[in-house]
Amino acid sequence: MKKYLKFFLLLVAVAGAFGYYTYHKPHQNMNNATTQIKLSATQLFSDYQVDETTANEKYLDKVMEISGKIKEVSTDEKGMTTLTLESGDDMFGIICQMDNLTKHNQTNFTEGEKINLKGICTGVLMDVVLVRCVKV
Amino acid sequence: MKVVKVLSLFAIVLFSSNSIQAQKYFTRTGNIVFSSDTPMEKIEASNQKATSVLDVETGKIEFAVLIKAFQFEKALMQEHFNENYMDSDNFPKAFFKGEIVDLSKIDLSIDGIHPVKVKGALTIHGETNDVETDGTLVIKDGNISANSTFEVAVADYKIEIPKIVRENIAKIVSIAVNIDYELFKKKS
Repeated sequence: MKKYLKFFLLLVAVAGAFGYYTYHKPHQNMNNATTQIKLSATQLFSDYQVDETTANEKYLDKVMEISGKIKEVSTDEKGMTTLTLESGDDMFGIICQMDNLTKHNQTNFTEGEKINLKGICTGVLMDVVLVRCVKV
Repeated sequence: MKVVKVLSLFAIVLFSSNSIQAQKYFTRTGNIVFSSDTPMEKIEASNQKATSVLDVETGKIEFAVLIKAFQFEKALMQEHFNENYMDSDNFPKAFFKGEIVDLSKIDLSIDGIHPVKVKGALTIHGETNDVETDGTLVIKDGNISANSTFEVAVADYKIEIPKIVRENIAKIVSIAVNIDYELFKKKS
């Protein structure tokens, strides 16, 4: 009887620990995240212009590595940096919100700089928006 | 000759006056925070990439937000939010199309804080409901910002909360919208 009790308690402890860690599990580490798709900023933008639904099927929620040229750098009042990449379009581009859960090696960016960014695609409004971006 | 000079001067003044009344305002960095408060848990998520357009001539105001760009403190909650409640793979956006009531009655050239009423159609999770809410329009140094906090009944948008977490997620969530506008410049 005692053996079964011990085993049962162990099971409860393991289940409890599992539940605790799942509930408190951290967001994925973007530096370690595996790139699922590699694309140029212009290609990504054009894919969304051609067919948003198909582009979403391909890219939504995926960890993407985007290469492009920085069109604009902006920092909001909370210190969060957003880089807009050239898309080939005059008005709209690829917006990359830098990850606020990562300690970035580079925090100063310049317009015109060529850069590779890894982030998660969240879709398109007027620009294509990627969040949790890190420099590759 | 003098007449021509006066007329051309008049024309220049007329065409270069950028009266605030004839402008479209835009942003792609609108801030939206939604919160759910229950005795069991307080959940909050924010999105800093909302787009919005405000046409001060007609009072038309619109905003759109990508669901997957909402960031939660807890990764698990963000997952549940997207996969179970919002079904963001199928409904990647939420948006509002409406108008600020009686905007023409407000003098936008004077700095000030103006209480306004906003009404229109709010679409979340593929469901659209007419909403009406209070907000404020703040004019400072020629800049316009709009703020509003309103409540949304989750059930109105066919969002189902599973029994197991029903005590953790409020039936009515609060949405706070804060938008700083810029003049929409068309690059010629």
